[in-house]
Amino acid sequence: MLQVRGLACESPEGRPLAEGLDLAVGKGGNLLVTGASGSGKSRLLKVLAGLERPRRGEVRLGGIAVWPGDGALALLGRIRVGFAFAAGGLLSNLSLVDNLALPLRFLGLPEAEVSRRSEGALIRLGLGPLARLRPHAVSGAARKHANLARVLALEPELVILDDPLEGLDAADRGAALELIRAWAADPGCTLVMAMEEAETLSGLAAERLHLQSVPAAPMEPA
Amino acid sequence: MAFLAWIGAPVRSFLAFLGDQAHLVLRTLRSGLALRAGQVAVVGGQTKLQVRFTGLDAALLVAGMALLLGAVTLIQAFSQLSGLGAEHYIGTLMVVIILRELGPLLTAVLVIGRSATAIAAELGTMQLNGEVDALLAHGVDPYRYLLLPRWAGVLVAVFALVVCFDAAALGGGFLVARLKYGLAWGFFMDSVRQALSNLDFAATLLKVALFAGAITFHACHFGLGVRRSQTEIPQAVTRTVVSALAAVFVIDGLIAALFYF
Repeated sequence: MLQVRGLACESPEGRPLAEGLDLAVGKGGNLLVTGASGSGKSRLLKVLAGLERPRRGEVRLGGIAVWPGDGALALLGRIRVGFAFAAGGLLSNLSLVDNLALPLRFLGLPEAEVSRRSEGALIRLGLGPLARLRPHAVSGAARKHANLARVLALEPELVILDDPLEGLDAADRGAALELIRAWAADPGCTLVMAMEEAETLSGLAAERLHLQSVPAAPMEPA
Repeated sequence: MAFLAWIGAPVRSFLAFLGDQAHLVLRTLRSGLALRAGQVAVVGGQTKLQVRFTGLDAALLVAGMALLLGAVTLIQAFSQLSGLGAEHYIGTLMVVIILRELGPLLTAVLVIGRSATAIAAELGTMQLNGEVDALLAHGVDPYRYLLLPRWAGVLVAVFALVVCFDAAALGGGFLVARLKYGLAWGFFMDSVRQALSNLDFAATLLKVALFAGAITFHACHFGLGVRRSQTEIPQAVTRTVVSALAAVFVIDGLIAALFYF
């Protein structure tokens, strides 16, 4: 499902984050990316999803060339990807349920199916009563859950989770963890996730990748 | 050599800007042509919102401005023409000044001030919040969901506002002509009608189409160009205004040269 060859990427300020990275994750496989804050986990996930351009290297998803190529535009209508962002990512002018429904409507699903999937996903994550609220009107934990619910509603072939448990306390983690376990056990779903503290999810991942932090270049004296 | 570099850098960045504009237009057109049945309602809903914001919400402002402009133009023109005994040219003057030039141009300026700034700020904020990435990651083509409805909405709104502007300006002109100079409706409209030609309609339609495209894609270019911090948003808005105004005036000049020179 995911093939990476000779990947090199850097931070927005030009700091090298990964160099000559090779990866292969088969369909139904799981990959856990770990590393300290600033090591480039989020950047790597965005490169894999075609949202950020790498400095060099190849990324293929389901046989489709993402890089070099058009990035995520090449995947439109060909592979269903679900991406739960570490922060943000929900459309601020839409309610939570409409945020979930939008990608489903773009898939061309009938309205009844769109409602069933989007409302069902929100209920499963405990967000049923908040469905009609906009993202800014709910807590950070609810936004995090809504991000996961959007991925769940899409029923994707590739799930990418960027620090899915960050900012969730023990009480809030239950539903999210249950969902991640379900994706990890699903043979039709490839799971790629990144976490700073890996202990919670390490048992779920068949493969692991640890990113080393590259310190920023020291400032030149004036 | 230094002089060539001094000339070359802005030329290169201008050509890159033109290339990006062409890329935005082509991708948006392509995404529009590939629109599937299930997506029409979503894109249509977004287009309606844009038409309401850019067109309907601005209609009163445009009509009021045009009414005053039409009245003032007639007062100034009539006092000059009547001194020369050429009152029957009043329609020609109204057509040349208002319908051909000021109508489309001032409407575009107003749309840039009200809507292009809003589009640039909205898209910039969406970029910073990761909303554009989220759309793309989940299979929603941003060209189809963000750019196409804005383009279509601004196109419809600019057309409607130009019609509204022209009608209100003629209304304002006639009001003054009637109240101050006692001109009859028939005389006034005959004079306007004789001065209007099919060329004027064609030129206005071309202006509307090109102005709407320039306004939308300048706003989208600078809005989507926001990358790192919120301080880039006001810069993107300012650049949108300056750049879209320049584009609109250049297009206006080119069309005037093409049709009337």
